[in-house]
Amino acid sequence: MRNGVHRTGPERGPRPIHPRSNGGPHLALPGPEDRLVPLDADDAPRPTLRRPVLRTLRLGFVPLTDAAPLLAAQELGLFDAVGLRVTLSAEPSWAALRDKLAFGALDAAHLLGPMPIALAAGLTGVRAQVTIAAGLGANGNTVTLSNRLAQDLGRFPSPLAAASFAALVRRRAAAGRPPLTIAVVFPFSSHSYLLRYWLAKGGLDPDRDLRLTVVPPPMVAQRLAEGEIDGFCAGEPWGSHAAALGAGRIALSSGDIWPNHPEKVLAFDTAYATRDPESATACTAAVIAAARWLDEPANQAEAVNILRRRAFPKLDRTEIAAAFEGTAEGLPLDAPLRFHNATLPRREQAAWFLRQMRRWGHVPAAVSDSLALAPWRQEIWRAAAARLHEAEPPAPPPPPSSPLTDSLEHA
Amino acid sequence: MLVGDRIDRGARVLRVLLVDSDPERAAAVEAGLSATGCTVVAIASGTRDLTRHVRDTGAEVIVCGLDDPSRDELEGMDALHRDEPRPVILFAEKAEPEQIEAALAAGVSAYVVEGMAPARMRPVIEVAIRRFRAHQALREELATARRDLDERKLVDRAKALLMSRHRLTEPDAYKRLRRMAMDRGLRIPILAALLVDAD
Repeated sequence: MRNGVHRTGPERGPRPIHPRSNGGPHLALPGPEDRLVPLDADDAPRPTLRRPVLRTLRLGFVPLTDAAPLLAAQELGLFDAVGLRVTLSAEPSWAALRDKLAFGALDAAHLLGPMPIALAAGLTGVRAQVTIAAGLGANGNTVTLSNRLAQDLGRFPSPLAAASFAALVRRRAAAGRPPLTIAVVFPFSSHSYLLRYWLAKGGLDPDRDLRLTVVPPPMVAQRLAEGEIDGFCAGEPWGSHAAALGAGRIALSSGDIWPNHPEKVLAFDTAYATRDPESATACTAAVIAAARWLDEPANQAEAVNILRRRAFPKLDRTEIAAAFEGTAEGLPLDAPLRFHNATLPRREQAAWFLRQMRRWGHVPAAVSDSLALAPWRQEIWRAAAARLHEAEPPAPPPPPSSPLTDSLEHA
Repeated sequence: MLVGDRIDRGARVLRVLLVDSDPERAAAVEAGLSATGCTVVAIASGTRDLTRHVRDTGAEVIVCGLDDPSRDELEGMDALHRDEPRPVILFAEKAEPEQIEAALAAGVSAYVVEGMAPARMRPVIEVAIRRFRAHQALREELATARRDLDERKLVDRAKALLMSRHRLTEPDAYKRLRRMAMDRGLRIPILAALLVDAD
C-alpha cells in the first residue's frame, strides 16, 4: 500500500532532503517518491494515517569513537531522511552485541572486522551469517603502555618500534621477571591481530613471550592505572583517556602498524538484509552520508558533542576530540581515524585478517576462504552509494608485508 | 574449599561461578541455582582477573548474564587458549522463544531464562557441561594435530621460498631458515610464518 497517495507535501519529483538546517549533509536520494519523508512539511495538516510508514531497524553498537557514523546518522536526522526509524542500542560487550545479532534480537550491528569471520566459522560456538554493508572507519586504535613500562623503555620515538619493545621483553625475561600482560578488547579483533603482527615483527611469539588478555574498552584505563595490565590495544577514546588520567603513554596507533587498515564494519543479519534489502540500503546510505559529514574538519566540534552526549558523558571533550583531530597525546598521527573512504567493504583487506587468524591457529584449516570471507559483499554499499551519487573511494594501500620481507632478508 | 553438606542428597553438587554486575539480580539467580543443587562458589562482578578467580574457586561452570560487561573477558579466556576454559551458561531476563531457539541452534551450550523452574535448570546445566567437555576434548585433539601439521607446512613453504629465491638446495634452505630464526631468537615455524606471510 505504499504509493504516492501517502505523500502530503505538494507534488514534486525526487529532490534533495534537508534533514537539519544546522549543517547536516544534504542527502540527494533519487528513488521511489514514497520513500521520501517530507521533514519540512511538519506544519502542513497531516492525518496520522496518511504518514509514510516508517520501518524500525534495530541497530546495536559498542560505545567507541568509531561508532560515530551510526550516532551521527541518527543525531543529524539522516535515518529519518531515508525513511527509516532506527532504535540504536548501546551494548555492554562485543559478545552481547554478537549474540543479539546472531539470535535475531538485533537487525544490524557495529562489529569488529574479524567478528564476521569468527561468526561464519562458528569459532566460539556461535555461528551466524551476516552481510557487511559498509566499513565504519579506518585506523583509530592505540597501543598504550603503563608509565612504568614507558619508563623502562627510556625515551622512544613515536611510533615505538617493535624491535625496541621486543628488546625490553627479552631483557625482562632474562632477568627472570614475569611476562607482560597486554589487553586487547576481544579475542577476534583487529586490535588482537594488528598487535600480534607487530609483536611478531619484533621477533616475539605473542602466545609465549607475553600474556594476552581481554579487557572491555571502558575498563582498560582503570586496569592500567591499577597495574593489573601493563598495556592495552583499544579503540579511542580509551587510549587518550588513559593518557589524560596519567595512567599510561600512547606508544603507537594501529595505523602505524597497517596504515589505513579497515576497522569496524556495519553488519546486517543476512536474513534481514535478504528480507528487506530496501531498509538495509537506506540505512547504509544514511551511514555513508554521516561518514562523509564526519570527515569534514568543520564538523568536528559537533561530532565531539554528539559522541559526548550519546556515548561518553563522563569523559572530557579533549579526550574525545583527539581521535577526530588525528592526534595522540597532542602529537599528530601518520594514519589517523578516518571514516568516509573506509565505507566500501573490501574482501581483499578482510583476507589479511583471515590470514592472521590462520597464522595464530584461530581458524581451522577446514574453514575455506570463501566461507570465511562471504560476509564481505559490495551490493548494499553500491546500491546505497548510487542513491547518494557517491563515487567509489580510492583503493587503500595494501596490507603490510613487504617491508617485513626486506627486514628479514637483509638484516 | 568445602562444598557443604548437600552431597548426601545423592546428586553431586555443581560448583558455579556466577558473574553478574547487578547484586540484586545475582542474589535472585543464586537462590535459583542453590535450589537446584548447585553451590555458587563466588559471585564476580567486574572482577580483576576472571581467569585467576575461576581457578581459585574451582568452579566447574560459569553462569553469566547475557548483558554482563564481563562477557568479553570470558570469551577471551576461552578463545585465547588460556588456562582452564569452563562452560559458560548465559541467562537472560527475557527472551523470545525464537531467540532461545536461535541461540541453541547457533551452538551456545545453554540459555537459561530468568524464572525458569529450578527443576528444569539442573538438567540444562548438566547437559551444557557434557556438551562442553565433549567439544573441548575434540578441540584440543584437533588443535594439536593442526598445529603440528600447520607448522610443518609453513616450514616447507618457507624453504621452497628460499630455494627459489636464492637457488638453494633444500638442506641449505633449511640451514638458512634455521640461522635466520636463531639470529632473531625466534622459533623456526614463527620465522617461516613471517616469511610466508611477507611473500
